[in-house]
Amino acid sequence: MVEVSNLSLVYGRGERRVQALDAIDLTIPGGSLVSLIGPSGCGKSTLLRVLGDLLEPTSGKVEINGRTPRAVRLERKTGFVFQEPALLEWRNILHNIALPLELRGVDRAEREAKAQDLIRLVGLEGFEAAHPRQLSGGMRQRAAIARALSTSPDILLLDEPFGALDQITRDRLNMELARIHEVTGLTVVLVTHSIREAVLLSDRIVVMTPRPGRISRVVDNDLPRPRSLDSRTHPAFEALVRLGNSELEKGYANG
Amino acid sequence: MADLAANTLSRRAFDQAWPPAALLIGLLVVWELACRALEIAPYILPAPSAIWLAVTTNSAALAFHTGITMFEAVTGFVIGSALGAVLGTGFAYSRFLERGFLPFIIAANTIPVVAIAPIIIIWFGHGMASKVAVTAFLSFFPLALNMMKGLQSYDRVVMDVFHIAAATPWQRFWKMRLPGALPYVFVGLKLNVTFSVIGAIVAEFVQADRGLGFVVMTAYRSMAMPRLWAAMLISALMGILFFLVIAALERLFVRWHASVDETR
Repeated sequence: MVEVSNLSLVYGRGERRVQALDAIDLTIPGGSLVSLIGPSGCGKSTLLRVLGDLLEPTSGKVEINGRTPRAVRLERKTGFVFQEPALLEWRNILHNIALPLELRGVDRAEREAKAQDLIRLVGLEGFEAAHPRQLSGGMRQRAAIARALSTSPDILLLDEPFGALDQITRDRLNMELARIHEVTGLTVVLVTHSIREAVLLSDRIVVMTPRPGRISRVVDNDLPRPRSLDSRTHPAFEALVRLGNSELEKGYANG
Repeated sequence: MADLAANTLSRRAFDQAWPPAALLIGLLVVWELACRALEIAPYILPAPSAIWLAVTTNSAALAFHTGITMFEAVTGFVIGSALGAVLGTGFAYSRFLERGFLPFIIAANTIPVVAIAPIIIIWFGHGMASKVAVTAFLSFFPLALNMMKGLQSYDRVVMDVFHIAAATPWQRFWKMRLPGALPYVFVGLKLNVTFSVIGAIVAEFVQADRGLGFVVMTAYRSMAMPRLWAAMLISALMGILFFLVIAALERLFVRWHASVDETR
């Protein structure tokens, strides 16, 4: 359960002052997958970075299961996936995935066993000893997701994780994420540019508008689970995409 | 499978090695024949056979002087590189140090080594310590600069990954910034190792009673040109040997980097 109340974040000062987030209120039920969507500059990545304690809000309150984002991060209960995989080039895939456990001081046998389980979960069997340079973009991003899951986080935050991938790879990774969410029961927050991706994956779609960054509408998505690529043929799918699009266009019109 | 890999590896080494080897042998043959046919005076250009004779008749003495220079170069290289690594790390972590010290370091680096060598010899005495000090002076700057650049070249998103994992500054250094800096570190070490031989020999030119620089000076004064050529070629071989050692270490430690891609 994530509770955001009256959250504001201001970059810069004077003439350069940018209100990135303005009085955001948002509740994310535990175990749900919520998408943040909106035009660039709407603050969706900023909000995600506040949840991950990569940014400090100017005012307001954020609680993840009753604790601050910093407390959650320091307990290594935050999982974060960035747009780039950001793997260490000199480590093989197994040791990249085990990195957060290594930094926490988990002993070698235990962290490698855990990394091996995650390699199976994200479908990278056989690539344990490969180096990032030898893998495709989609496989590198799978490894980044496994790394984010390695410390068994309470919350998984994804910042446009599939934005740099081709459509087919993106579809496959969307399904992987849906499956991982369903088997782990994790609370997931996904920042995306794609309304179709948001509708396909989430329980709740948070549409944001820029200047200042605000939530314009929260759309509940009750497409049946488990989701598959066939969910896109469900009658409710296109209706939700249309609803999301019209809401998004308001944001673009304002910007 | 392993045999095949080993075979292709030695095959590749052979493919790389034979063109320069063939060229060298050709050069030696032409050189020898030219000296004999054109009757070139030995003090202008001694024939390879004459240089070889100078090596074999003086082998014990040359080995001694080579050992001295090698010791000075290696010791100076190690001290200079260690100082360079520490200073470069300081620059990478402190803007104050970088802004305050770097201009002076650059200025010091432009001083010609032949001009500063006599001063260092006055400070450190007539023994090997002064030769080591000149070598260290010459071979710390490239690593200091490359260490700084390497440590500053980390990926911001990887830094975020370490932040999310609540890594300590110490862990960031050992597991992210230093490994990422290694390609730069080896650029610096390769420059240092070449400069180290130059440093030792220049210092011996200024004042020494042993070492290859001393051999060059005494051979020059007595016009023993084959001996001078022998000392010069040995110092060149020493530089090549040092460079190959560093390159081998680079292959071992930086296999992951595109610049030493083993599949090419």
